[in-house]
Amino acid sequence: MTKAERRELQERQRAEKASGKTGSAAPSTPAAKKGRRGSLAEGLSTPGSAQKGKETKEGVSGAVGGGGGEDAGKARGLRIFSHFGLPKPITSHKGEIHPAIVRLGLQFSEFKITGANARCIATLTAFKSVIQDYVTPPNNTLSRHLMTHLSPQISYLVAARPMSVTMGNAIRQLKLEISGTDIDLPEQDAKDALCDKIDNYIRDRIIIADQVIQDTAGKKIKDGDVILTYARSSVVEKVLLQAHSDGKKFSVIVVDSRPMLEGKNLLHTLSSHSIPTTYLLLPSLPSIITEATTILLGAHSLHSNGAVYSRAGTAMVAMLGKEYRVPVVVCCETYKFSESVGVDGFSKNELAPINKFSTPPHSKSPQSLLSASTNENPYLEILNPLYDLTPPTSITAVVTEVGVIPPNSISSIPLALGRNMI
Amino acid sequence: MASDIQNYANQRIVEVLASKLRRRQVVGSRNAAIETTLVLRQVVSKARFSNIDQLVDIIRSVGRRLVEAQPKEHTVGNTVRKVLHHIREEYHTAVEGTAAATKKEDFSISRFVSQGQPRKQNIPVPKSEERTTTLRENDPDDPDSFAKGLKPVLMEAIQDVLDELETVYDNVSKNARDHIHSDEIVLTIGHSKTVEAFLKSAAHYRNYTVIVAESSPSYSGHEMARSLSSSNISTFLVPDSSIYALMSRVNKVILGAHAILANGGMFALTGSLLAASAAHAHSTPVVVCAGQFKLTPLWNLYHEYGALDFSDPSSVLGFEEGDLVDKVDVINPYFDYVRPELVDVYITNDGDHPPSSVYRLIKESYDDDDHEL
Repeated sequence: MTKAERRELQERQRAEKASGKTGSAAPSTPAAKKGRRGSLAEGLSTPGSAQKGKETKEGVSGAVGGGGGEDAGKARGLRIFSHFGLPKPITSHKGEIHPAIVRLGLQFSEFKITGANARCIATLTAFKSVIQDYVTPPNNTLSRHLMTHLSPQISYLVAARPMSVTMGNAIRQLKLEISGTDIDLPEQDAKDALCDKIDNYIRDRIIIADQVIQDTAGKKIKDGDVILTYARSSVVEKVLLQAHSDGKKFSVIVVDSRPMLEGKNLLHTLSSHSIPTTYLLLPSLPSIITEATTILLGAHSLHSNGAVYSRAGTAMVAMLGKEYRVPVVVCCETYKFSESVGVDGFSKNELAPINKFSTPPHSKSPQSLLSASTNENPYLEILNPLYDLTPPTSITAVVTEVGVIPPNSISSIPLALGRNMI
Repeated sequence: MASDIQNYANQRIVEVLASKLRRRQVVGSRNAAIETTLVLRQVVSKARFSNIDQLVDIIRSVGRRLVEAQPKEHTVGNTVRKVLHHIREEYHTAVEGTAAATKKEDFSISRFVSQGQPRKQNIPVPKSEERTTTLRENDPDDPDSFAKGLKPVLMEAIQDVLDELETVYDNVSKNARDHIHSDEIVLTIGHSKTVEAFLKSAAHYRNYTVIVAESSPSYSGHEMARSLSSSNISTFLVPDSSIYALMSRVNKVILGAHAILANGGMFALTGSLLAASAAHAHSTPVVVCAGQFKLTPLWNLYHEYGALDFSDPSSVLGFEEGDLVDKVDVINPYFDYVRPELVDVYITNDGDHPPSSVYRLIKESYDDDDHEL
């Protein structure tokens, strides 16, 4: 059918409904507003924290077994750490969950997909197929109903692993796009338009942004430099590879730590490109920090006060870098910016499941790990926090796709970009 | 004479300990110190000497041999210095009787500065001719008479050193409850036996929580966490990476030391510097528990790379990472150098001391002549 025919059809449908709405222009603004407000609330805190709180109580008391209530000191210990989200196996969910989301949830909870960028791209890609498979039920418009369809999918993902800031930002943007969809648009066109928007978001805010960061940060690498990096950040990896392919001669020190030991992946990539590398675990860092000329770090998200929320251990690398006067450069795309202010890595964090990373890689001691004895000993608990917060004072500069900026100017970037871009 | 001393240093028992040290079969500062004392006791009991200088030379040569075998086990040298100090003290008491003790010195700043030694070792060494005691050095008739007379007190002196080493944990932890209060959160790293005893002793009086950082790549924190929790101390085991994130809730960082240096800094388990720096960034007090046998008359102001001791890389990056092994440099040091500014107090078996007064303790424990063995 032609466009005119389709429009006619829709016009007829709308006339048939005719229940509450009168015009097409009038409802669009309140809908957008409502969508935005709702998305803000949902994206930022509500589902995440509520879910987290619930999980924690169950998760921790489950982990301790019967030993929790007997001892006052114990109980206190538990209280302090009780806000750390502990992932639990996904049990119940309401609504229909799209298979792509189920799969993704599993990959998240199994830590098969990790890293802020990877998780964001994976989520958006999965949402694309959710949107494509979505059919607007009768007596509903896509712009109003699709969000209610997506909500359970999102909460399913959050149940699998607390949402990353990048996902929150991307989802908020998606909600904005959905609520702004013209109701006159035929369903398939609207869905295609949304998928295009998602593709553009991934391209503009992540892929292209990374390329710009590669060029910008690459300029900071000179021949003979020794770049120190912690764990593995996809952006840092790209920066290093780009600088190497530009013919720069430099070596890399990879610092790593449990629980995830992600640095080994970076080590494999770098050594396969025959970049000279040195590998050490975090405690050994002070003995080699003086050799480094620049510290390149990745970020999970960037708070508006310039604090960097990143893989646990980053804060110590940056701290030591500052102490020994080694410039600390954080590579971070602007879509990772978070509007909140962070002052303490303790108040917001996430725990890695113990059984995923419990075994030390090469433990010589036979009594290597206590995952078994956790249950027998009520006084012992294992915590694996995944993130920490680097204060802005230990960061020299942040490389974003809009340029190199000092951490205390972070808050001006979203304004400069236009608030709705974040 | 020189060849005799050489023989002492090459004795079988010395040789055995030297090779054990070199092969790292004796590890841990207290173990090394105890083994050294035992060897010295053996050496002294068998030694033939007719004056104090010969005895000191013998002990020194043995000490030099042991220190050369493993220069990074600082307690070996410390123990030798301590034994020498005790022996000289006993010798002085023996030859002087009570004369030295009663000798009153008038105090004046100039005397204090010029002598630099606040205590006992300033007793002027008397010439042997003036001696009135039965102890006679260099007796031509009976060269062994000096040794025979002195040996019992020497054995006692060495036994004192040994006793101090054996009771060191109890004495360090005897004031533990003054340092740990109820409901505190204490962070420690790795497995230091002194810290373990200290925490367990505090647990008799206080209800508190310990966070143990596991301290890779040895992961000795696991053993520590297990031991503490089995004494009913609420224990949380965390990876090293989360020290900074948790530090804002920690009331006190308690560390062990490998050697305490003359400037008040210390060599300690790898990771100590990170923990201490993180504590410094959060203004959290850092408490170090260590016996006084770890006091070392040594300076390390610059944290030289060469001052470190490196362990084998396989525990960091093992052979299972096959293709990486020959492409990647792996660094795995045993120790960190922690600057004195990062330490708030040393809790020793003989009182609590700030880093700034460590030099005085060293002056009191060892004789200046022995700093170079």
